[in-house]
Amino acid sequence: MAHRWGMVVDLDRCTGCEACVTACHAENNIPTVGAAEAARGRAMHWIRVERYWEGEFPEARLTFRPVLCQQCDNAPCEAVCPTYASHQTDEGLNAQVYNRCIGTRYCANACMYNVRFFNFFHPQWEKPLQLQLNPDVSLREAGVMEKCTFCVQRIKAAKSEARAEERELVDGALQPACAQACPAGALVFGDLNDPESRVARLSESPRGSKLLEEYGAEPKITYLQRQGWHEPDAQ
Amino acid sequence: MNRTRNNPLADDLVRPLFHTSVWFYGAVLVLATVVLAGAAAWGYQLWYGIGVAGINWPVFWGFYLTNFVFWIGISHAGTLISAILRLVNARWRRPVTRCAEVITVFALMIGAMFPIIHLGRPWLAFWLAPYPSAREIWPNFRSPLVWDFFAINTYLTGSLMFLLLPMIPDFALVRDRSTGWRRRIYGALALGWQGTTKQWHRLESGMQIMAIAIIPVAVSVHTIVSFDFSMATVPMWHSTIFGPYFVAGAIFSGIAALIVAMAALRKLLHLEAYLHPVHFENLGKLLLLMSLLWAYFVFAERLTVWYGNEHSEMAVFWATQRGEYAPLYWAMVVCNFVIPFPILALRQLRTIAGTVVASFAVLIGMWLERFLIIVPSLAHKPLPYTWGDYAPQPVEIIIMVATFAAMILLYMLFSKFVPIISIWEMKVGNQPHPPVVTEAEDELAGLWRARP
Amino acid sequence: MDRRRFLKVTAITGTSAALASCGHPENQIIRFVPEEELTPGIAVWKPSVCPLCSAGCGVIARVMDGDAEVFRNGQPGVTRMGLARKLEGDPAHAVSQGRLCARGQAALQVTYHPDRITTPLRRTGERGNGAFQEVSWDEALGELVSRIDELVGKGQASAIAFLGRPRRGQRQALVGEFLRALGAPAPVSFALFDDGVARHANELSFGRYQLPTLDLARTRYLINFGADFLGTWNSPVAQGVAYGRMRQGQPGVRAKFVQVEPRVSQTGASADEWVVVRPGTEGVVALGLAHVIMREGLRPATAAGRAGTLVDGWAGGLPQFTPQEVERRAGVTAERLERLAKEFVTYGPSLAVIGGAALAHANGVVQALAVNALNALVGSVDAPGGISFMPTEAPPARPARSLRDLVSASPQLLLVDEANPVFATPSAARVGEALRNIPFIASFGSFIDDTSVLADLILPDHSFLESWTESSPESGAMEAVSMTAPPAMRPLYATRAMPDVLLEVSRRLSRPLDPPLPWQTFEEVLQAPPAAAPAAPARAASASPVTWADAQFDGDAATYPFHLLPYASQALHDGSLAHLPWLQELPDPMTTAMWCSWVEINAHTARQLGIALGDMVEVSSAHGSVRAPAVISPGIGPEAVAMPVGQGHETFTRYASGRGANPIRVLAPVEEPATGTLAWSATRVRLARVGGPDGSLVLFAGATRERPDHHGRG
Repeated sequence: MAHRWGMVVDLDRCTGCEACVTACHAENNIPTVGAAEAARGRAMHWIRVERYWEGEFPEARLTFRPVLCQQCDNAPCEAVCPTYASHQTDEGLNAQVYNRCIGTRYCANACMYNVRFFNFFHPQWEKPLQLQLNPDVSLREAGVMEKCTFCVQRIKAAKSEARAEERELVDGALQPACAQACPAGALVFGDLNDPESRVARLSESPRGSKLLEEYGAEPKITYLQRQGWHEPDAQ
Repeated sequence: MNRTRNNPLADDLVRPLFHTSVWFYGAVLVLATVVLAGAAAWGYQLWYGIGVAGINWPVFWGFYLTNFVFWIGISHAGTLISAILRLVNARWRRPVTRCAEVITVFALMIGAMFPIIHLGRPWLAFWLAPYPSAREIWPNFRSPLVWDFFAINTYLTGSLMFLLLPMIPDFALVRDRSTGWRRRIYGALALGWQGTTKQWHRLESGMQIMAIAIIPVAVSVHTIVSFDFSMATVPMWHSTIFGPYFVAGAIFSGIAALIVAMAALRKLLHLEAYLHPVHFENLGKLLLLMSLLWAYFVFAERLTVWYGNEHSEMAVFWATQRGEYAPLYWAMVVCNFVIPFPILALRQLRTIAGTVVASFAVLIGMWLERFLIIVPSLAHKPLPYTWGDYAPQPVEIIIMVATFAAMILLYMLFSKFVPIISIWEMKVGNQPHPPVVTEAEDELAGLWRARP
Repeated sequence: MDRRRFLKVTAITGTSAALASCGHPENQIIRFVPEEELTPGIAVWKPSVCPLCSAGCGVIARVMDGDAEVFRNGQPGVTRMGLARKLEGDPAHAVSQGRLCARGQAALQVTYHPDRITTPLRRTGERGNGAFQEVSWDEALGELVSRIDELVGKGQASAIAFLGRPRRGQRQALVGEFLRALGAPAPVSFALFDDGVARHANELSFGRYQLPTLDLARTRYLINFGADFLGTWNSPVAQGVAYGRMRQGQPGVRAKFVQVEPRVSQTGASADEWVVVRPGTEGVVALGLAHVIMREGLRPATAAGRAGTLVDGWAGGLPQFTPQEVERRAGVTAERLERLAKEFVTYGPSLAVIGGAALAHANGVVQALAVNALNALVGSVDAPGGISFMPTEAPPARPARSLRDLVSASPQLLLVDEANPVFATPSAARVGEALRNIPFIASFGSFIDDTSVLADLILPDHSFLESWTESSPESGAMEAVSMTAPPAMRPLYATRAMPDVLLEVSRRLSRPLDPPLPWQTFEEVLQAPPAAAPAAPARAASASPVTWADAQFDGDAATYPFHLLPYASQALHDGSLAHLPWLQELPDPMTTAMWCSWVEINAHTARQLGIALGDMVEVSSAHGSVRAPAVISPGIGPEAVAMPVGQGHETFTRYASGRGANPIRVLAPVEEPATGTLAWSATRVRLARVGGPDGSLVLFAGATRERPDHHGRG
């Protein structure tokens, strides 16, 4: 059976430390745009940790929510792309073919999660920062949309390794950079088509829900909601 | 109606083709400079990247798409209005149709440029066309942008034919009055027109077919432009009302553009004898109707959103109603309703000057409407963390100004090379028994007939 | 095109390109012979140690081949070499456990930083104006040696000083050996957030001069007094891993986490309950909790053992810390305190933690002692779910000298190893001025920062990826952790490992060291380390009880109505990471700010002072003022303002120089008396709006509320 890559984000574990954000930048050659461009809303973070305040001082409370491409089954970005740059792969990834992208930015508008990022200029790595680049991930030129790939380069590498060694993929051994970095283990990645995988089991959690589920995009990321503390039964 | 005889009419209307004032050259120079500045701005953007514009995350569409929708809207002035007036055989249409149809063609050409200007990699825009390629990749026919591509191309082709067909007899007329290179050029354009009954017959049936065919195309074009927005689940875009709302808005701004253009032609080309207050009054009534229709659509749209009370939509609603976009929103309401309504509703104010004032207001208001549809929604998508804002950058403003200059320039040049009022149709209108159009004007046409 | 033809074509074009470049000297790039055998495109994972904080996380570097512009034998050129491309936590390392924080991920950029110093430099202009010229290693070492020779010859070896960051392991031991053999005083460690107060208190309470390891995974009730244990304090990765288990590690069991602090920190954001206290009264709350526990007879006073006896009045049940009294002093209601105390005992294993701003007061030690006693009272010391101390061969040594000692001794020659006290001390402490008066300063750092810009000689070290690295953390795991790792890649530039430089200097001195250092290279040091200095004997158990003292604040409350709460930036830590672009562009978890400084202000206070989001405000203490844009926050009380530490460098590479404001500079030079560390939470300030937004506040997020229409934007 084909793989169907998915993720579970446990909001009860997430501490907002943003290890995932830097890990993603490092893995995927995401450009740093600089202060001036960041001020104009051009910072690129394929994964971000959204934070929302509730209440007022001194009852204020803060919640963190990592948001990355939800890899929707019914992805609104794919339908609107005139050139098929945004399309669904056999394994359920919302792929972005950079070479096919002409930069209408329609996909980014159609995406209600705003997880697509646009190269407004040619990305720059001031020498010798280009040496940090991951040779497995292509660079994107100006005018091209980019987004979370679930670290497709890692998926491909793990699959070819498994094929060479004539074995199945091991659940948990293959992780995107964000999940690998996450100290608290808030991000769990795996194959939703494997009923024994951790991600498939956690997706069934009663704490689970999808982000903006009402839009019907059928995301493959399940959020496990943060829990409150309840006084345990007297001991 | 002014009952002039044939010769003076043709003299009047052909005169601009043969006599050009210094002012004309001056104006062309100024406008061409502005257009070139726009081209330079685009070149600058191509060189450095689309980032020189103000678009950002999450407001990925800004001035360029605003102008796209605005100009496509303006394009509805011409062909659609002209086709309807032809079909209902409104007699007063005769001096109006050509200057209306020209607006369509030029506005479409300008409007269609914007989606290309706004592309991240505009040199690849041809990938929207379904050409056979070795990789067998076709455009994605699910994408409203591809629908746009076809709709706009169809409308542009249709409008061009609709414009050119009735120009043939006039080209022949100019050919017959000119010598030298002019004669050769206009002779070629006249396609061997001799004015035989057979030719008149074919022209009329061609016109009839085009007039019928172009109406659904025109309606579909702006409906499809609205689909660019309503097919995306962006707050306040995803609305069933957008199709008719955009078509009504397009006709609204189109009529306003037509009134402004006619007033300018009347003044500058001294066509007072052909463009009468009654034309402005009739178009003013149409504009009044569209203003009311527009207000109705806005009211219906806003009320449903408010009652729906869906929180991401309410964010956009309040941002426009009383938030950071409220000044623009209320300016739009003033321009599209508060100013034009009394002017156009009161007969004393429905003068040439009055309708021109109202039309200018409507043009500004409708431009704001397009902006307010695009930007506040993108700035307030469902996750408030991703809210943003937008400020246009010089390059976007220069390109926008240049397109207005381009419109005026193209219009001026057109009126220099082609009689801006259809001479043969005027002649037909002046004869008690038109040679070909024999059917009586129907009841509906009567409604539009000018008062004596 | 078949493969053969492709190769032919590329060979021809390659040759012609090479020919075309002949005749233009600037186009003639020397290509060195590759120094290692690498399979193109195949990654090799090499172990290393993250150097960016003292947690000592083991990492693995993904090394792949690539073309790099390098220096070899003083000659620039290009070579094909193994380059580290990505860092991950080392799954085999007990602290990092295969995980890595944001800062550790960005450590890669230290090596490839465009402003890294590539060769030795000598100062050419006025001290501090940043003009340097490149010199050879021979020349640079010769100058340093002659300077040392001169002082040694004059019998002034004691005027040689060494200032570094707090480190443990053989590198630090070698520095100590070198200085001792030279007859110079012991090296001084300096870092803004150095946790000396916590270690000191732990030594008093538990006989361990060490930060604790938190067994969060088994904790069921956690009260945290201001320690940013999920962000920047102690061993954040290990604590993050344990925190995940504390939350969802066991089905059906979920610990309660109570955060006691005046401003919600990133760690506090994850708490189940936030208890607002007045700054400097965290210990009052801890003692109040102990009072209730003892009063209710839930635990006997004696259960706390020595940690209890250290607190004055403990045996008598802390009669002066009644809930009413705690309410009056700390602002925590009596009912709440009673409830928390009972929950804390009932739903164990319980754990109390203190750190960060709570200890950055003149009364820091007694605050820590209070929490230590509370832990001991509920039996959470060396118990599952409590605190424990990692068994380690070389426990952290109590520093023999402080920065203040170093400065007041007016050294003649200063060796600086990455410490940046000019940035991280209050202006009023006048450290920068003192350093300027030192006749000769040599720096080993890889970057020109606020301190090394004063250096006369810069002897650039390798980056950690190019060096032998060692990890000997003091906390973060239950078992002892110690590792060394060879370089993950060859050096890019004409840099030299600092320990090797010291060894080279020791060999070149005109009067040989006595006894001579027995090693040629640092690698040899790691193989045959110097005998560990005998651990200082634990403080006598009969240490006298410490009486509670209220926190004192600089500046009177009438003129300076707000407490200034500086805090470690999530991305830039103490500012030593402000040069890394990945971290500059990392949105702050709380405010989403990037590339800037800001001042967090309570919404009510902001309204009163007419301050809106992004407005420029001036924060003034009795010792100076800084300006930064305002961020309105519901997570801070009306009596305080908070500023992140990290920005405001005058000189620190293209990414950090002149960016933002440094709150440390305006602090009062108040020290915790027992340890001499800066009490960085003890300054009062006043606040004034000085202008509208200047555009420097760069926020990634739009709205701060999930349903902004209910609250308004901002």
